[in-house]
Amino acid sequence: MSQETTVHTDYAVQARGLTKTYGHDSTRVEALKGVDVSFARSRFTAIMGPSGSGKSTLMHCLAGLDSADSGEIVIGGKNLMQLSDDQLTEMRREQIGFVFQSFNLVPTINARENILLPLALAGKKHDEQWFEQVVGILGLGDRLAHKPHELSGGQQQRVAVARALLTRPEVVFGDEPTGNLDSRTGAEVLSLLRASTREMGQTIIMVTHDPVAASYADEVLLMKDGQLVGRLAEPTVASVTDALTSLAE
Amino acid sequence: MLHVALANIKVYARRYIAAILAVAIGTAFLGASLAVDTSTRATLKNSVGEYYKTADLVAFRDWKSSAYGEDGDQPLTMDVLEAVRALPEVKTAYGSSSYAVNLRTDNDMYNAWLIPISPEHRYSGVNLIEGRAPMSESEATIDQKYAEQTGLGIGDQVAIEGAGEEGGLQEVRIVGLSAATNDPFKSAMMQLGVSEGSWEFLLGEGADLDEIMVNGTGDTAQTRSALQQLLGDQSVRSATVLTADEKVIADVANLTNGTEQLTMVLLIFALVALVVTGLVVMNTFAVVIAQRTRELALLRTLGAKRKQIRSSVLTEALLIGIVASAIGVAAAVGLMAGLVKLLQLMVPEMSYATLGVDWKVVAIPLLIGILMTVLAAWLPARRAMKLAPLAALRPFDAASVKNRSGRIRIVFGALLAIAGSAGLVAGALIESLPVAFLGGLLSFPGILMLASLFVPSTVYGIGKLFAGNKVAGKLAALNSVRNPGRTTATATALLIGVTLVSMIMVGGQSAKTSLNQGISEEYPIDLMVQTGVLDDSEVTRLAAIDGIAAVAPYEVTQAMINLDDGELDDSYLLVVDPQVLATVIQDESAIPQDGELVFTNWSYTESETAQVAGHDLQVKVSTASYLSNMITQNTARDLALPTDDLNGGAMLRLDDAVSANQLSDIVERIAEVLDVESASIFGGAMESAMFSQIIDVLLMIVSGLLAVAVLIALIGVANTLSLSVLERTRENALLRALGLKKKQLRSMLAVEAVLIGGVAALLGLVLGTIYGLFGAYSTLAQIGQVRFDIPWLQLALVIGVSIVAALLASLAPSRRAARLSPVEGLATE
Repeated sequence: MSQETTVHTDYAVQARGLTKTYGHDSTRVEALKGVDVSFARSRFTAIMGPSGSGKSTLMHCLAGLDSADSGEIVIGGKNLMQLSDDQLTEMRREQIGFVFQSFNLVPTINARENILLPLALAGKKHDEQWFEQVVGILGLGDRLAHKPHELSGGQQQRVAVARALLTRPEVVFGDEPTGNLDSRTGAEVLSLLRASTREMGQTIIMVTHDPVAASYADEVLLMKDGQLVGRLAEPTVASVTDALTSLAE
Repeated sequence: MLHVALANIKVYARRYIAAILAVAIGTAFLGASLAVDTSTRATLKNSVGEYYKTADLVAFRDWKSSAYGEDGDQPLTMDVLEAVRALPEVKTAYGSSSYAVNLRTDNDMYNAWLIPISPEHRYSGVNLIEGRAPMSESEATIDQKYAEQTGLGIGDQVAIEGAGEEGGLQEVRIVGLSAATNDPFKSAMMQLGVSEGSWEFLLGEGADLDEIMVNGTGDTAQTRSALQQLLGDQSVRSATVLTADEKVIADVANLTNGTEQLTMVLLIFALVALVVTGLVVMNTFAVVIAQRTRELALLRTLGAKRKQIRSSVLTEALLIGIVASAIGVAAAVGLMAGLVKLLQLMVPEMSYATLGVDWKVVAIPLLIGILMTVLAAWLPARRAMKLAPLAALRPFDAASVKNRSGRIRIVFGALLAIAGSAGLVAGALIESLPVAFLGGLLSFPGILMLASLFVPSTVYGIGKLFAGNKVAGKLAALNSVRNPGRTTATATALLIGVTLVSMIMVGGQSAKTSLNQGISEEYPIDLMVQTGVLDDSEVTRLAAIDGIAAVAPYEVTQAMINLDDGELDDSYLLVVDPQVLATVIQDESAIPQDGELVFTNWSYTESETAQVAGHDLQVKVSTASYLSNMITQNTARDLALPTDDLNGGAMLRLDDAVSANQLSDIVERIAEVLDVESASIFGGAMESAMFSQIIDVLLMIVSGLLAVAVLIALIGVANTLSLSVLERTRENALLRALGLKKKQLRSMLAVEAVLIGGVAALLGLVLGTIYGLFGAYSTLAQIGQVRFDIPWLQLALVIGVSIVAALLASLAPSRRAARLSPVEGLATE
């Protein structure tokens, strides 16, 4: 992978002055209060923070699923804030991958079709060699013909990961990707995600509240009250737990 | 559990809108059908009963009585009326009669009903609006409507010619005008009121009154028995005494046989609409319960008994049934009130039209609407009842819904379909419509029961065929069959309506073509006019009329025809020029050559030769039964048969493209040219136009009635789709997140709707065409040769309308689905 050599020199995702407010008057909540953040290419970053800290909102905005009130978000040289809904949609299916907490596979089609769905939506052919490689790394080779309800939770999440990786997106967003998995399967999925940054140069941004999950990341960003309040490089379970505890005080 | 049901309705109100709409339309149809009947009765009561309005009792001779007209059965005379008046129980009494007399003025003569009027006895039911009642034998009243028509008025002197052997003649002066009557028995002629003395004088002693109307002094029952006693004493043996209400009901019953049949027909269509409504309701509840699986299972976990779950669901159905049926009945009554008002305004002669609404019009649709809603919810409620408490804890996977079609239903449906199809075929073979109809009646529900076997697979197959490589199309095809039971019920609702519509279209078209074929065989001439012999200029002017292709004049002669198997005295023979005739006639067998007699088959012969005026002619039998026998001009000359200028006419052929409207214009023009009444022009084209028009009108009415069922079914399509969209909120949001554009999402849902709607229409069309062809054959085979004719254009229109309507039905749900942001959608449980 050529990207391995340029790891720290450029950014996959950059955001400047992001603000987002929900509700009116008395129900008004400032979810993001001017967030500036950059995510380096080929890095696995975790965003953490207590409930209501704005971490999910930040991720939704960065991923183009939700629109921020002001600021700018640049992915692959394009400012998301200036795109129409259709352009955003194209952006999502070409530049962005998702792994959700509750797997979110389309129940009517089998695993192979689910993995290929974003490419099919774009009307593009897939690279069979790349497909074999991703499926092989994720160990899904003998499960491709199964419908989602015929797969275990861990297998479903691995299908979701394969779906996210297959388009070679600029960035993959994970929203509590291990929240619905037991600790062993969760560890498996996290190892796969980390492997994809190391071996494929994939950029990954993950929201989680689980210190164990966060310890797999290269870096942890800490959020509180709609703002970034800290960074932890090379996190361990202990250092993350300490940081979270200090945030709560 | 009532509060749970109420809370559910409140929360899920929007999901029930379509079901409520469907039930309301269904019950409104039923209510309106019943109201047509009651309003017709009320209207007739208002007109027929006019005469009795002020009376308590009506005495009349009942012609259904065995004593009627027998020896010793005395008539209701003026003497009897006097005796009735003398009874202490009687306050006033008057008679009515239906003798027609002639009323002469200096220049004219009119027919009139002669009515005896007694000023002391409430004017005999006649309502005077100007002038006064006749006080002596030289005075009379007429009604306002005929006063206007004839120009007669108060002060005019007229003569009345009596009726019967003893009837006299009387000079009278008009002294008053009465209100025009609405009684359909009496409104066709002038109402001529005279004093009772005049009445008896004009008609002779012993003239018979139709009825004696009585107002009693006290108790009606007492008056009635006194009246019966008296009539018995007077030997009016066939006399019956009814209250005014009873008499009106009896009269109306005589008049309303026809409207009862109309009501029956309307009720059949209402039934179809209700069956379709039932399917829509069933689907609604099935979906709503599927969506609520977790919630219901949670209730079970918390200690709700199975029966409580079921009754909670049924309570919801009951409440919805009540609300929807009430809306439907109110709409029906409103609609009928509007129609009656419109009739009163638009048709002045129908100003007495009356809205009739009795308890039945309200109660029956209300009851049936509620019952049907609860019944339709029964199956889904049972499914809800069977939920295990554990289901609350399992993640609900929408894809894993499998409806196992009940084996009993499949077996029963197959039996019905096979037996019914056999009946259909048998009906066609023995040419009996009732047998074929019964076959259709059995096989259609049978096929509907089997619908789960072929509807989802057809939908999926066609979906895959059209989707190609488009992801949205493929997903739509998959989505449309992910719940086969739901798809089947939705499609079936539409299939019913489309089957019936296309059945009558195909049947009607085949009937029209077959009848036209029959007409052109028996009546090979488009138009024929019988007048004198035409001169050359008349022929030229006829040929010049737009739409006329050819003119063949003919002359007429008379001769004795001797055949081997009979003879015809003074038989009319048309004398024609065969070359000219060939330009107007469509049937070669009806053209005589020299030395031939064309014998049309209005009478029968097997004879090969005929002797006409002493000569032998070759007999040529033609199927044209409406024409007279024909010979050529040369034959007539050879046989020295005389023709005269007074007897003759022309046969005409029309251009092929002449429409029914143009035809009446052409007939007018012909009448002008020849200076004859247009009614004296006849021919195959006129007959065809008449039949075609009758069939077209029938087709239009029936299609209109069935359109209600189709409308309800389309509401069902929108309903199913919008409920499915709610159910798939999360999944659709996911697709949006993964890169499905808004437009693609909308088109995915549109394709799903079009698939269900289009396939239902297609299957309905095929079924309806088969039924239509069998029906037409069974009906028409007895009459003559059957020509099958499929109205491709109309059928294509049905498919087109179904697809467009399905597209429209997908608009609201798909807009809602596209509006939801991916984040919101993914957040829903």
